[in-house]
Amino acid sequence: MYGWGKRNAAGALSLARGRGGRVKGMPWRKYAVIYRLVLLENLQYAANIVVGFFSYAVFIYTFIMLWEYMYRTPGELIAGYTKEQMIWYVMMTEMIWFGSGAASVAREVSTDIRGGNIAYLMNKPYHYTLYVLAKYTGEWSVRLPMYAMLAAGIGTLMVGPLPGFPLTAVPGMAVCVVLGLTINAVFKMCISLFSFWIEDAAPFQWLYDKLLLIVGTMFPVEIFPKALQPLFKLTPIYTVFYGPAKLIVDFSPEKCVEILAAQAVYLAAGCGLMFLIYGKGVKKLYVNGG
Amino acid sequence: MLTAVKNQMRVCLLSIKYNVMREMVNKVTFLTNVGFMVLNNASFLVQWMILFRLRGEVGGYTFREIMLLWGLVAASFGLSHILFARVFSLPDLIINGKLDAYLVQPKNVLVGVITSSTDVSAIGDFLYGIAIAAICGPGVGGFILFLLFTVTGAVVFTAFALLLGSLSFWFVRMDMLQNQMVMGIVSFGTYPDGIFKGVSRFLLYFIIPVGMAVWYPVHVIVRFDAEMFFTVAGYAALLSAMSVAVFYRGLRRYASGNLMVARM
Repeated sequence: MYGWGKRNAAGALSLARGRGGRVKGMPWRKYAVIYRLVLLENLQYAANIVVGFFSYAVFIYTFIMLWEYMYRTPGELIAGYTKEQMIWYVMMTEMIWFGSGAASVAREVSTDIRGGNIAYLMNKPYHYTLYVLAKYTGEWSVRLPMYAMLAAGIGTLMVGPLPGFPLTAVPGMAVCVVLGLTINAVFKMCISLFSFWIEDAAPFQWLYDKLLLIVGTMFPVEIFPKALQPLFKLTPIYTVFYGPAKLIVDFSPEKCVEILAAQAVYLAAGCGLMFLIYGKGVKKLYVNGG
Repeated sequence: MLTAVKNQMRVCLLSIKYNVMREMVNKVTFLTNVGFMVLNNASFLVQWMILFRLRGEVGGYTFREIMLLWGLVAASFGLSHILFARVFSLPDLIINGKLDAYLVQPKNVLVGVITSSTDVSAIGDFLYGIAIAAICGPGVGGFILFLLFTVTGAVVFTAFALLLGSLSFWFVRMDMLQNQMVMGIVSFGTYPDGIFKGVSRFLLYFIIPVGMAVWYPVHVIVRFDAEMFFTVAGYAALLSAMSVAVFYRGLRRYASGNLMVARM
């Protein structure tokens, strides 16, 4: 799949270039071409995504059963959430988790560095990290809406509609979700870029994923001891999962602005870190030929 | 007959030994993989601490019993991925015609295939499971039962993966189904059976074998029940026999991929 994308992306880039190899118009156009190609490719294989629904359904079913058990009386509140809100919160965070498929970014970067393919890709007329991000955006653009529809279907069927859900706020929520999963991809890429120094960065990915999974997706931050909550709000958990999911289950315009501001700061810092690590990493690169 | 079995066992053990030695060439990566997998599993303690802060019991389980559940899943999953890791990528071998290299060896094909790789991080899973069992203190008898059920659990994991993977001889895309069903055992198995009801409970005991791999064994460790014990052992044996039969039935349909592969 990736090989096809790369060859076609390279071909399309040559079309996007003018005479003398310079890209005409906005510099972002080449990334838009990569995005469009990967999007079209993923649309061809959309049926494959459906197979992945099983894992999502397993997770969600387990959590519905768990929270059904934990809430014993109707109208009970746990950490300020009703049963419906708690289940919808988990469904939304898991929808972002499964729909984003951020593991593909980590896998691709690690494989490129460990396998030496990076030597070929870094000489192309694009920045490698932005190339990976453009491809990743093309991937989730197909997958995430499918998972969103599945989550909405399961949620409405098994838990009932989310009370007080404002349809007018959907664009704001969508922006938060998109920024959240881009921040996640940037941080996962930063970890994978450590493969320039260590052979296998996967163990660090496990820990990062578990931090997000346990603290960010399974429970809302409010369920943790009060002393820890401010600390969690400084981590990517707040901008990647908690913020977007909180907006969906309990929307307020002030909260939306606060989360968007935090995401902007996080994205800027994450990208800065990513460019820094990549810049230092490529200087460490040894090409053994072959 | 006995000599052939002994020879086969020797080859298997050597294969596993060399798999591990190959992975240990880079010691830092090896230790990082194992150590971080232990930490990775331990991070789920946070989840259960939170849940037990809300209720004194979850699904009829105490915190100690939940830890036994986690320990058994980790140890069984770990053992099957240490000894038989290749069974989890069997569909890839079948679909891409990579079985040829095993067919020409003068040893049992199935055993040769499934013992041909080791997942290093699974050592971390296995060690975590054993450590949890030791800490949770089910007593000497309980610990011996835990070790026995780790073996039956690993057999169930492996046989279930073999059964689904062997379906690749007939159907495409079984790799995704195999992966999701096996991970389904892990996902469901790390939660108490008391939270599941009705049809789902039946499915989790008899279709996705979570009950036989994890829940029944933990019940037996907590309170010994001979009937449950033999049910688990019998189920593991039956599932193994069935999966082996399906593999060899499917192998008759195998067509070589005309692929040149060097096994080193």
